[in-house]
Amino acid sequence: MTAAPAVETKDLVKVFERGRRTIWQRLRREHDKRERFRAVDGIDLVVEPGEIFGLLGPNGAGKTTTMKMLATLLIPTSGTIRVLGIDPLMRPREVRARLGAMLSGERSLYMKLTGRENLEYFAALYHVPPGETKARIEKVLAAAKLADRADDYVERYSTGMRQRLALARALLPDPPLVVLDEPTVGLDPQASRDLRDRVRELKAQGRTVLLTTHYMEEADQLCDRVAIIDHGRIVALDTPAALKRTIRAEEVVHLEIGLDGDESAVIDRLGRSATVARSERSNGTLTVTAHCASARDFVPAAFDAARSTGTTIHHVEVVPVTLEDVFLALTGRALRE
Amino acid sequence: MSLLGADLRAFIAAARKEVRQQRRYPTLFLGQIFWPVLLPASWVLMGRAYSGNDPQALAAFADRAGSSNIAVFVFVGYAMYNWLSVLLWGAGTALRQEQLRGTLEAVFVTPATRLVPLFGPGVGMLLPMAVIFASNFLALRFFFGIFPPIGAVIQAAVIVVLGIPALYAIGALFAASVLRFGEVAPVVQLIRGMFVLACGITFPVAMLPLWAQVWAKILPPTYIVDDIRRILLRGDTIADVAGDVAIVLSLAVVTGILAVAVFRYLEMSARRTGMLGQF
Ligand SMILES: Nc1ncnc2c1ncn2[C@@H]1O[C@H](COP(=O)(O)OP(=O)(O)O)[C@@H](O)[C@H]1O
Ligand SMILES: [Mg+2]
Repeated sequence: MTAAPAVETKDLVKVFERGRRTIWQRLRREHDKRERFRAVDGIDLVVEPGEIFGLLGPNGAGKTTTMKMLATLLIPTSGTIRVLGIDPLMRPREVRARLGAMLSGERSLYMKLTGRENLEYFAALYHVPPGETKARIEKVLAAAKLADRADDYVERYSTGMRQRLALARALLPDPPLVVLDEPTVGLDPQASRDLRDRVRELKAQGRTVLLTTHYMEEADQLCDRVAIIDHGRIVALDTPAALKRTIRAEEVVHLEIGLDGDESAVIDRLGRSATVARSERSNGTLTVTAHCASARDFVPAAFDAARSTGTTIHHVEVVPVTLEDVFLALTGRALRE
Repeated sequence: MSLLGADLRAFIAAARKEVRQQRRYPTLFLGQIFWPVLLPASWVLMGRAYSGNDPQALAAFADRAGSSNIAVFVFVGYAMYNWLSVLLWGAGTALRQEQLRGTLEAVFVTPATRLVPLFGPGVGMLLPMAVIFASNFLALRFFFGIFPPIGAVIQAAVIVVLGIPALYAIGALFAASVLRFGEVAPVVQLIRGMFVLACGITFPVAMLPLWAQVWAKILPPTYIVDDIRRILLRGDTIADVAGDVAIVLSLAVVTGILAVAVFRYLEMSARRTGMLGQF
């Protein structure tokens, strides 16, 4: 095995034009009023063979656009891409033959065909050798836990089953690299868990997985490394654990404190044993979010601080640091609006 | 395993998929039997009412149409009309549906040639076409008591088969163009109307103004309809219409190349703008 990256992009940019230019405007050679905007704005990525790599970002961050450029569906405005060492601009067919792409998921199946018939059609499109087709289809059906429903029309499948079939289809060429665009969007919690298990199996089989998501739990649980992407740029890239360490806290403590007078004294005291990330006063209640090394040490200290400043703690909640906190710290916005 | 062989098998798989899908929408199929019989029958009766079987009137028609047999003349024209209808609707909506549902994108991420999604849907149109021709033939026989000689019928069938590539290419060109505009229905009406007027579907081409007759000369259906009529009505043979057949096959190649060019242009533009046409 060579150690060539599964995916490598350098300064990848995609500019779209917003609005439309009518034929009338073209004929009259009117000034082009379309607004140009950078959906992907200089992305550098290296996905190593065998890892699960996640692109995490809010809606509109440019995740799908990036995936489509990798999958040869979009031509970059500038920058370079290598997929398994191949340039998708120069040799798109070779990239397509080696890449398992699940982009629009369950929508992109033929509803009036059975699961098996869908796979038969796509096996031929993926140029699976005829002698291997049947076995290959049985294999992906079994892995997708669809073997017993293979001869039902897809229109009778649940959303989770359709999503699994779409993933099974992407695996028909037995690809070393799989790209999944929001694989669990619209699935119920159980179906999402099943799909994440499938993704882990892909890694266990030695495949590289590049996926996008706007669920921070998913990125955290599933991915070996995560690139946080916002407005077409990568704002942070590391393992989930390392990303969470960047905000220099092990735990997050939410406090609700009842008080009459000025809050600065109590905030000052709390600040001696933690970082006060956020505090908000409404009438007689002060809400504080504190980042601390250990809640076990900080919480008693907080009660001491309250007692000594004549205030009362009404409510304490200790939560672990999430990628949501990382995104908040980096962009000042919540991941999900 | 050669790439060509693999693509050929991809195309066969596409044909199977089309036929399977078609089988599962049987109601669409039934509608294709009644209208193709009803519509021409009403025109034949109308024609008979006008002529009143007056020999002079029939001679005038024969002068322009090459035969006084109004029924065969009209039925052949309508068979072509229905063939075009089924083809334009079928190929146009099939590709458009694939675009809307996202299956076209799923096909585009595979290494298969783009000729598969472009020409695949046409296969689904072959069966309804056969049904149309068969039901027209039976209608002529049982409602109008017309028995063309079996040799002529076989030769006419050969002309139909030889016309398939040209019509196929028209369907593909149409389907590719429809992707650009998004709406299928208005474009079908427009194009079909053009063919009806130009190709001698319900009246002899000789009735058209001269410029329109020139236009008719580059549309394959004009030749196909005329050749079938000559074989069924005037006793001509395939050898007599060989020149026309050559023209139709050449037009098929030209139209096919045009369809591929339009489709490739659309795919390239979609890869730049992220959108296949406007919708
Ligand atoms: N074909 C297109 N033409 C113009 N703008 C587009 C097109 N596709 C996506 N966009 C815009 O680009 C931005 C990024 O979109 P996308 O990559 O789909 O984001 P994400 O997948 O992260 O939600 C969005 O603002 C979106 O509206
Ligand atoms: Mg997206």
